[in-house]
Amino acid sequence: MSVRRAAYLVAGLAVAFLVLAPLTSIDAAQQAGLPLLTDKLWFRIATTVAMFVVMASAWNIIGGLTGYASFGNVAFFGLGAYTAGVVVTNLNLPFALALVLAPLVAAAFAVIVGIPLLRLRGHYFAVATLGVGVAVGEVVNNIEPLGAATGLFLPIIRSDLLFFYLMLGAALLAVLTTWIILRTRFGYGLLAIRENEEAAAVIGVNTTFYKVAAFCIAAALTGIAGAIFAQWNSFINQDNAFAISDNVQMILMAVIGGTGTVLGPVAGAISLELIIQTLAGGGSGSVFSQIGLGVLLAVCVIFIPRGVIDFFGGRSRLSLRYFRQTLRETSV
Amino acid sequence: MSLLAIRDVSKRFGGVNALAGVTFEVEQGDILGIIGPNGAGKTTLLNCISGLYRPDAGDIRWETTSIRGLAPYRIARLGIGRTFQIVRPFPSMTVRENTAMGALFGRPGARLQPGAALNEADMVLDVVGLGEKRHYPVLRLTVPDRKRLEVARALAMRPRLLLLDEVMAGLNQVEIEQALEMVRRVRDSGVTIVLIEHVMKVIVGVCRRALVLNFGRTLVEGPPAEVLKDRRVIEAYLGQRYARDQEK
Amino acid sequence: MSQFTQQVILGLLLGGVYVAVALGFSLVWGILNIVNLAHGALVIIGAYITWVLFTRLHIDPFLSLPVDALALFVIGYALQRGVINRVIRAPLLFTFLLTFGINLVIVSLLLLIFTGDFRSVTPAYSGSGLHLGSIVIPYIRLGGLAAALLLAGILWVVLNRTRSGTAILAVGADRDAAQLVGVDLRHMYALTFAIGAAFAGVAGGIISTFQSITPTAGDPYTLQAFVVVILGGLGRVSATVAGGLAFGLIEVLGQSAPGLSSSYANAIAFVVLVVVLVVRPRGLLGRLA
Repeated sequence: MSVRRAAYLVAGLAVAFLVLAPLTSIDAAQQAGLPLLTDKLWFRIATTVAMFVVMASAWNIIGGLTGYASFGNVAFFGLGAYTAGVVVTNLNLPFALALVLAPLVAAAFAVIVGIPLLRLRGHYFAVATLGVGVAVGEVVNNIEPLGAATGLFLPIIRSDLLFFYLMLGAALLAVLTTWIILRTRFGYGLLAIRENEEAAAVIGVNTTFYKVAAFCIAAALTGIAGAIFAQWNSFINQDNAFAISDNVQMILMAVIGGTGTVLGPVAGAISLELIIQTLAGGGSGSVFSQIGLGVLLAVCVIFIPRGVIDFFGGRSRLSLRYFRQTLRETSV
Repeated sequence: MSLLAIRDVSKRFGGVNALAGVTFEVEQGDILGIIGPNGAGKTTLLNCISGLYRPDAGDIRWETTSIRGLAPYRIARLGIGRTFQIVRPFPSMTVRENTAMGALFGRPGARLQPGAALNEADMVLDVVGLGEKRHYPVLRLTVPDRKRLEVARALAMRPRLLLLDEVMAGLNQVEIEQALEMVRRVRDSGVTIVLIEHVMKVIVGVCRRALVLNFGRTLVEGPPAEVLKDRRVIEAYLGQRYARDQEK
Repeated sequence: MSQFTQQVILGLLLGGVYVAVALGFSLVWGILNIVNLAHGALVIIGAYITWVLFTRLHIDPFLSLPVDALALFVIGYALQRGVINRVIRAPLLFTFLLTFGINLVIVSLLLLIFTGDFRSVTPAYSGSGLHLGSIVIPYIRLGGLAAALLLAGILWVVLNRTRSGTAILAVGADRDAAQLVGVDLRHMYALTFAIGAAFAGVAGGIISTFQSITPTAGDPYTLQAFVVVILGGLGRVSATVAGGLAFGLIEVLGQSAPGLSSSYANAIAFVVLVVVLVVRPRGLLGRLA
């Protein structure tokens, strides 16, 4: 069996495990004597990983496929989270409604902010969106009905299982969306914009509409993740809903995994989040994990800019020669 | 009624008048050559027509409608295709996919799906002579082939008007002959062509009319052979003294 | 009207700080096309060096500025030559991510060394100032503005009147052509970044006199440096000076507007940024970046 086949098999088993194993935690299963395959810690990590799969895949749509690297997608996460907060806490409406409204709010904001900002390229777009991420968080932090600096509490729903499946569902939605996009005319248009925007324009691609649409889709998916997070965590504030570190993490995951592909962000999200969780668990906590993250970022950017998925596509092999070649291409 | 009418078009960048009142018309079925020294405004003119620049003054009419200031994608879908002087392929796609992009987005009135676009691409690639290299990644192509690809992508749009920007630059004599053949095939298939060129052999060989631009203005217009002998044109390219010497 | 005059003066004084912070950032961006997300961290290193010299050796903060410059020059040179040079020809996203990673590492190291406690540098004259009628101009701020303008002058002289400066400008204008006439690109890149870092260090020293410092205090300055460069324009020292002073004025006057307060600092910066980018991308005095 080739390496590729084996990889698919392993992946398939992993997915099956993900979907079925959590069921062992249901009371009925426990009473029937099934072994508990997934404990609280497992749920916490798995749900977080799924959350980042959503965010990395969503970022990939605007950053990887379209080539507009947004450094402010965390704004959509936060908006989704606070929409859920408002719906559930302030308006006393069911959470299911929040799941519908959050992506709409995020997408609407993406249209408003996207139309002026998507006229910018490269550096400008990146830092302008960084500014959005920071500014939105700051503004929300000052609004009283949203809890201002103290934060917003949501009524607690205790169910590891529910939130895991919700986040897993969102992750599947994100991956499926990317897969569909890459098969359609829309996807080709995005790639054209990424590769050569002026050429795309003169062959008939409505670049403004496509860019804004991609931005909206990314925003909506990220918003859903934010909404689920809000209810799962039962508490949101500027620090956890608009965390700049989340921002960079989702980009890093997409880059490490391989931008522009369907499974790249998934691979990146899973591997990076597991590494982060391991680092955070051992030793002086967050400071070392931050240093580790920074060094990892530097190493990845320097040595594997095309992402890990490059090795799975059959195009490259992990070797010293690969690294040397990459370095030669990008060094001065 | 002409296919394309340029009326008194001007465009400035900062203090520079790239175009200062250019006027001419293109009839259906024409092959019009535009020549002029470097910096004369030829590419700027093309950019104005295809919508990448907005003229500061004047009008551009496509049949009866004004297309001045329209977004590039709209102009493309009206049936105007163009190539770039420095080619702009989509690097991550194959020759076939690049070409198909033109069919996918640029067809007047039709919205193709990827499958149909790829089929269209196959046909077009045969016309330009890239049929055998259809699955090559772009980076593997030679310069003349990349230019062919650029033309193929524009042709896949099934344009009524094709704007070619220095397609012959950098080609040797043999390649120029082949490219000329390709241009004639394209013309025969019913496409009106405007080409910017420095290679005079091309202008004389395939254009029915020629237009000379200098400093953003039209200098002379007429049949290529006459235009090239015009004293003002020689002066513009080679200087007053040479022109005077020629006359003696 | 003296309230307004006080605000304007404060705005200009704050602007001086922004000029100091943005000079190095603008140089690196204009010449190397690198938007250095670790710039704020470099500034804070300078602040800490000044703090250490002040508390251990009782050296006046303004006298420690050259030390800041030297230390950051070395650090900057090493960083560029050793690390950033490796991705400089890669797409912009990667230099972005790399400098972000460097920022993370520097801030974390500072946290380890100095902890998160707030430190201040309080020389004897920190409370006093120049009295002009009812307006008070704190000496510290004045010193900061003077130092900033001096820095701008030094940068202008280095770029326009020295051989290295000419080489730097050449590299910025056309990298390949510069190589063809014999410029050692790797060294020039490192030199440019080192100068940018040195200026950041001096800015840090200035900042330490009126602000408490903590490892994460540098991040806002990166965003603000960005806004200053966009506002003023890229490519000329005078553009950065104009941008810095203008931004200082906007911040002070903006924050005193009804309904807003200093907690909206980033939001104000962002709005300025977007407005400039949409209305006049080349900024007040500069070229299109």
